Amino acid sequence: MGRISRLGPDRVGDEVKALFELFLKERGNIPNMFRTVAHRPEILTTMLAHFRAVMGPGSVPVPLKEMLGVRVSRLNTCDY
Amino acid sequence: MAKQFGVSDTALDGLKDPARHPFPADQKAALRFADAMTDGPGAVPEETFRELRRHFSEPQIVEIATVIGVFNYFNRFNNALHTEITLTDPDVLVQRVREAVQAAAGAEDLCERVADILRQGRRYARVAIDRRRKDIDTTAHTGATRPVDGLLRAPIRAGGATVGIIEVESSSAAFDDEDRSLIERVAALMAGPLSAPPA
Repeated sequence: MGRISRLGPDRVGDEVKALFELFLKERGNIPNMFRTVAHRPEILTTMLAHFRAVMGPGSVPVPLKEMLGVRVSRLNTCDY
Repeated sequence: MAKQFGVSDTALDGLKDPARHPFPADQKAALRFADAMTDGPGAVPEETFRELRRHFSEPQIVEIATVIGVFNYFNRFNNALHTEITLTDPDVLVQRVREAVQAAAGAEDLCERVADILRQGRRYARVAIDRRRKDIDTTAHTGATRPVDGLLRAPIRAGGATVGIIEVESSSAAFDDEDRSLIERVAALMAGPLSAPPA
C-alpha cells in the first residue's frame, strides 16, 4: 500500500489530465509514481519534461541509458 | 521497459553483476561510474572517472551523470513513499495479445511474445507458455485456472483437446480475479494459433 494517495484522471487539472491520457495511449497505464506526484502538478509537469530530456535521444545511446537505469534501480533495491 | 529500448536479455542478466559480464569497455566504464555514484554519497574514485573520460565526451558524461541521478531520485522517492508497481489494464494486454497473434512468426514466437507481454504488463515473476505439456491433467479445469501458492495455470484448449498451458508465477502474494480472468482470456486467444499444424 502506497503511503501517499494516487490521483486518477478524474482528480487532476486539465494539464495533468492531458499528460495522463498520453500515458494511457502510449503504454496502457499511468505510472503510479506520476499519479502520486500529481498532488503537485507543477512538479509533475516539469519532472516529466526533465525525464524525457534525460532519457530521450541525446549524446549517449538510449539502450545504454536504459541499462544504467536498470543497474541503479537494482542497487537501490527498487522494483518500481 | 528496457527491452523495448533495445537492451537484450543477456545484457539485462549481466546487469546483476556487470563486473563479471563481457560488456564493451565503454559500457563497463559507465556502469562502474553508476555503481560509484549510487553507493554512498557518490564519491567517485579518480580512476573510475578517468576510465569514463577515456570513452565519453563532456556532454556525454553530463548526460550519463544525469541519468544516474534521475534514477537515484526516482528510486528513493518510490522506496520512501512505498509507491506500488504499476500494472497495465487487462483489456490493454488482451489487445496486445491479439496483435501478437496477428504478427507472430509461428507458435514458438507467439509464445515468447505473449509471455513478454504478460511479464511486463503485470510484473509476474515468471510466465511460461508451453505447447508440449499435454501430460498435465487439466481435464477437470476446462478454462478455469487454479491459483495455488502463487502459481496460476490455465490450459489452452482447442476442440476439446489441451494444446498448451500458461503458467504464471506471482512476484507478490496472491493473484486476484483480474489475473485469473486475464490468463483465461489470453489462453482462449492462443487456442487457434497453437492448434494449427506447423507451417
